[in-house]
Amino acid sequence: MSGFADFWAGRDLWREPMIAGVLAGAILGYIGVFVVLKRMVFVSAALSEISGVGVAFAFWLGAVMGIDPHAHGATPLLLEPTWFSLLFACAAAALFSLQPGHRKLATETIVGLGYIISSALVLTILNSPRIAQEAHAIGDILFGNAVTVPRQQIRALFGAGVVAVIGHALFFKELLFVSYDRETAVVQGVGVFRYELLLNLITALVISVATRAVGALPVFAFSVIPAAAALMIAERMRLAIFLSVLFGVVSAAVGYYVSWVEQLPTGATMVVVASVFLVPGLLKILRRSSV
Amino acid sequence: MELIRLERAVIGYRTPLLPPIDLALRAGTTLAVLGPNGAGKTALLKSLLGLLPLQGGRRTLPQGRSPRVGYVPQRDRLDMSWPLTVLQVVLMGRVRLVGPMKRYGARDRAAARAALQEIGVGDLADRPLFALSGGQHQKVLIARAIAAEPELLVLDEPTSAMDPAAERIFLDLVARLKSAHNLSVVLVTHQLTAIPGFATDVALVDRERAVFEVGPAEQMIDPQKLGQLYGREVRVAKVGDKTAIVIGNGAPQ
Repeated sequence: MSGFADFWAGRDLWREPMIAGVLAGAILGYIGVFVVLKRMVFVSAALSEISGVGVAFAFWLGAVMGIDPHAHGATPLLLEPTWFSLLFACAAAALFSLQPGHRKLATETIVGLGYIISSALVLTILNSPRIAQEAHAIGDILFGNAVTVPRQQIRALFGAGVVAVIGHALFFKELLFVSYDRETAVVQGVGVFRYELLLNLITALVISVATRAVGALPVFAFSVIPAAAALMIAERMRLAIFLSVLFGVVSAAVGYYVSWVEQLPTGATMVVVASVFLVPGLLKILRRSSV
Repeated sequence: MELIRLERAVIGYRTPLLPPIDLALRAGTTLAVLGPNGAGKTALLKSLLGLLPLQGGRRTLPQGRSPRVGYVPQRDRLDMSWPLTVLQVVLMGRVRLVGPMKRYGARDRAAARAALQEIGVGDLADRPLFALSGGQHQKVLIARAIAAEPELLVLDEPTSAMDPAAERIFLDLVARLKSAHNLSVVLVTHQLTAIPGFATDVALVDRERAVFEVGPAEQMIDPQKLGQLYGREVRVAKVGDKTAIVIGNGAPQ
């Protein structure tokens, strides 16, 4: 059987993960335009890592409380990793929106601390003997090798996408203004903290739900690579957003297909495919700099 | 009529930067805030606009509300690589007027285009931001401030990267806008050459020497006061109907 025929025959197995990947690629492709333009790439990395801590913490808490995650229906709703992922990411997003106004504790430092501490926490929790049984499953979730995605997570991802689209549609001009020129927005009396918080919360919501569905590595990659690729070639905002979403969707779909056919890690393959979209922009920059 | 008043205001981020100050911003005036780099000019401006809480004293609004502000930031603080058109940038000036959860309407677009036209760059409306020269970018930022229908136009070091001729053309443009829109203007600058013939009032600021003094421009453009502010000999001369300021190498007189 050819690669594609084999892939098609297994569609019942890949349908949900493929949908999750494509949804994540589309939503993060959109959010990523703001992430890259606002130079908050590291915020998205930190949020992705912090939401990962939420996932690991939920498993750890379940183990401490003696709940067997493999027993059908045994996990109480409140111990659902998605909630913890969401809670951790939203708390971090609120923290990142604060302007401490202190040169020794800049927002950049807080984001860096969040990233470093959460990375260490993930490693610590994953190596805890209490969750030895679940460590592999958690690792898959965090590093993007999940091959099965429950429908519940697809619904959550879709819901996060709807919230992101509505939030941005209602407040697009404010989000654009505070992102492009914060100082003038402050002087002109636009509620800068409110809109930065909204932007960060939407980013945190999407990242935390997507991390649970497709893993931290592709989530971070989708929030940076498609937007960076689009912004290198597009000169208008609408075109940049359209291309970024398109690159995210195609990277997820093609990446999943290649990982299936070649038996490669799913998340990493999606990232490699996404990276190909950087080539036209890089060539454009090289051509300009050689003139 | 006063727009904003500071009474015995102590300004600073954690510790006071300047002695307590009294300052009234009157409608129709042009206040130049003058001082060397790092003198505390921006802190004073932020306190005046209510963006930096006072450490002491009080800020009052004699009209009972904050004036509508059009703000022109230093252009090198903004990222020219954003995929925005000139019109999209100018429309940002209308964000507060339009209000949340509403889109820009035909009136807003017309106001933004009219502001560009008035500044003399109406043909740039659909150009991408990155394709502008530094001077064009500066004009676009002024158009954005005018599109906000301000009562108070605030310019933060707008001429710091300009040669003297470009500076004069720029200041003439601001003077024309002031008269056309009945504006009050606050200009923050470290450049002495920007003041004569432009400002009606001058505030001298230097936190190192704990200097704050404000008064009519003709009193403040004084060799002794300016010499003390810059720690250099300053000469003020009349050339025809213009005032020229020359900074020498020696100590202040």
